[in-house]
Amino acid sequence: MTASMTSAKPVSARFSPIVLLPLLLALAVFIAFQFLPFVNQPELGATTIPVLTESRSNNEVGVPTNGLILIPIASGVLLLLGIWNLSNVQMIRATSAITVLVGVLVLEYFVIFAMDYSGEQSTYLGSMGIGFWALLILAFLMIVQVFLPRAAADREFQLRSLISNQESAIAIALVVLILVIGTSNPRFVSTNNILDVLQGNAYIAVAAIGMSMVIITGNIDISVGSLIGLLAIISGRLVVSGAPVWVAWLAPLFIGAAIGALIGVLVAYLRVPAIVVTLGMFSILKGVLIIWTNGQRVTDMPPDFYLAQMRPLGISMPIWFMIILTILAAIWMRYSGLGRALYAVGGNAEAARLSGISQQRVVLQVFMINGFFAGIASVLYATQLNIIQATPPPALELAIITSAVVGGVSILGGKGTVIGAMLAAILLNAIRSGMIFINVSPFWIQAVQGILILVTVLIDLLRRRRQAV
Amino acid sequence: MAAINESTQQPVQQRNLSKRLQDMILSQEGILFIILVITIIILSNSNANFLTSQNLFNQGRLLAEVGLIALPMTFIIITGGIDLSVGSILGLSAILVGYTWNNLGLPLEAAIVVALLVSCVAGFLNGLIIVRVNVPPLIMTLATLAFYRGLAQGISEARSVTGYPEWFFGLGQGTILGIPTQLVILGIAIIISGIVLARTTFGRTLYAIGNNMVGARYSGLPVERVTLAIYTFSGLMAGISGVIFVSRFTTTRSDMGSGLELDAIAAVVLGGTSIFGGKGSIIGTVIGLVMIQLLRNGMAINNITSDATIVVIGSVLIFAILVNNLIQRLRTAE
Repeated sequence: MTASMTSAKPVSARFSPIVLLPLLLALAVFIAFQFLPFVNQPELGATTIPVLTESRSNNEVGVPTNGLILIPIASGVLLLLGIWNLSNVQMIRATSAITVLVGVLVLEYFVIFAMDYSGEQSTYLGSMGIGFWALLILAFLMIVQVFLPRAAADREFQLRSLISNQESAIAIALVVLILVIGTSNPRFVSTNNILDVLQGNAYIAVAAIGMSMVIITGNIDISVGSLIGLLAIISGRLVVSGAPVWVAWLAPLFIGAAIGALIGVLVAYLRVPAIVVTLGMFSILKGVLIIWTNGQRVTDMPPDFYLAQMRPLGISMPIWFMIILTILAAIWMRYSGLGRALYAVGGNAEAARLSGISQQRVVLQVFMINGFFAGIASVLYATQLNIIQATPPPALELAIITSAVVGGVSILGGKGTVIGAMLAAILLNAIRSGMIFINVSPFWIQAVQGILILVTVLIDLLRRRRQAV
Repeated sequence: MAAINESTQQPVQQRNLSKRLQDMILSQEGILFIILVITIIILSNSNANFLTSQNLFNQGRLLAEVGLIALPMTFIIITGGIDLSVGSILGLSAILVGYTWNNLGLPLEAAIVVALLVSCVAGFLNGLIIVRVNVPPLIMTLATLAFYRGLAQGISEARSVTGYPEWFFGLGQGTILGIPTQLVILGIAIIISGIVLARTTFGRTLYAIGNNMVGARYSGLPVERVTLAIYTFSGLMAGISGVIFVSRFTTTRSDMGSGLELDAIAAVVLGGTSIFGGKGSIIGTVIGLVMIQLLRNGMAINNITSDATIVVIGSVLIFAILVNNLIQRLRTAE
């Protein structure tokens, strides 16, 4: 099917001038480097990398410093164009490889500039070299992968299989990120911070387990953010009104599953598209939440309610939940009947029906499971601070969907694992945290995250296409 | 498929008048229109202030921004795609108007042009990667939803820009011949989009792509160019919407328009455009838009809190699609 889809694109032998665009851009960036106020600053350490300075005396051309913002944008564009071209059959691969490399280099210059600009210790510049080479190696691996012939020797095959699934690709990205930021700011790799990085998105990772299953069946749930907010308030109100703590912990799970069942019935049996149902539920749940709470936060919970603040064996509870639930869910999806049915329904609904799987029942069940996991996530969210906010974090559903999708769960259904989703949730938080450690302005964090999401998705897509050919 | 919308079907056989009338009433647009009329009757009976031109024009102002976004969204959803990044493009456009005018010192006219150009580029980038790399539109626009909003945040650094010249507020607060300016813009956009969708080759190509993309490609239709065009158009409209937004609010903030994409999608889907593509109309979208806005307004002037309205709108969305599904299924069963 995928093969026929790619071949459906008419292949013309004509040379399209647009393929030269990246080369021109690369040239433009190169020329810009000649004219921008880059100077070698030997007093800053043993680095030979020129540093972009802001001081007037070095800025002979008088380029406004506002223009510096163009550098990360240009590098992002170059990276994207390079990656895009790698997929383009007409493109000369060497050209696209150069584009990717130039993109990486420019990005690296920017990081160095950001380091210098933020007035960090000069020794960091020297150690940034490690991060630089790590990025280069990553780019090289990517390019090598493209050049490798299909039926190659064993060793090359191993290299390819290392980066041939999204889970390991994200794991590598995570390691590289920790390496790069850790070398520039050792505080980043301290145990406390690593635990913080793991914990920050843990409830999102738990919710992403359910979301991955929903997406694997070819559906989607936009209402999950509102649902988590509502269930958290329910949990808090219950315990404040004097219910036992275990009731307050368990109630969201079952209410979540019940709301999931309602969505599931509408989607599976009444044939309303999932995106429409959950778009409606998104408004309904959000409205109910606002009317009910009236903007009031929930406070004064009993001390033994704070599940997420417990630290068995020195590791906080959300991390335990995230890892154990993800492993259990991964095993369940791989080996149980219903788990396989999720993939069957999402991959090929007709074949699933012919092999005796009730598509309707599977879809109903998957929405119930999703509601259940949203319930667990809501308890972790509700108990992490001493107050429960009246509204959930904005765009929570998008963060959850993004984790699943970046983790390699195909929006078209039938592909992906919950392990990828968990790693992606951690990666997204690591990026956020890492940016702060290398003093990137917090206003730019979301833009960088957006680019990284895009790059991850593109790489995943290209790899799938190469495997399909 | 049997359930092809009347506007996509060639009049192969001559049908009698009553049958055609029945078809018209039982189409999604027809049912919605009837619901809309009933809603208006109920609302105008319950409150005398509802059916005044003053109130309706005010509602028109509020509706215009979502409306401008919902039109290209109809095109995109008809092709089977979706654009989640429009709210962020709106924010980016709003920020760029303020930034280029205030910080870069451009005249405001030029600042608006820059904002609209960047919005076009943003939409074009969506379309380019969707077409060239075959990224599913949902994922591509989900990523750019974060990216464009991030750009807006980064450029503005959470500072708002105020103090625009007086003439600029005419766009979001003034009137032309007694009608709010942005409502006139929306009206023109609706007429053009309606004609383009229903009466031109371009519009028919959208339906063809939505029904069968591979088929459309093999029939020699310029699938890629058309797809690129509608995403660019979507970016442009979001940009225009952003400028109007700034003019109406007299300030720019980077979180402007967040969540607007869901409002626009709700209006389009409520208007009978199938989320799977191949089916839908501009008239339906307009009815959907008006319906949502009137519900909101009608409940507000009857002293129902605005939070309760989103519950009602969500329920109406699900219920309308549900009823339509049942009717269409009964009709095909006949």
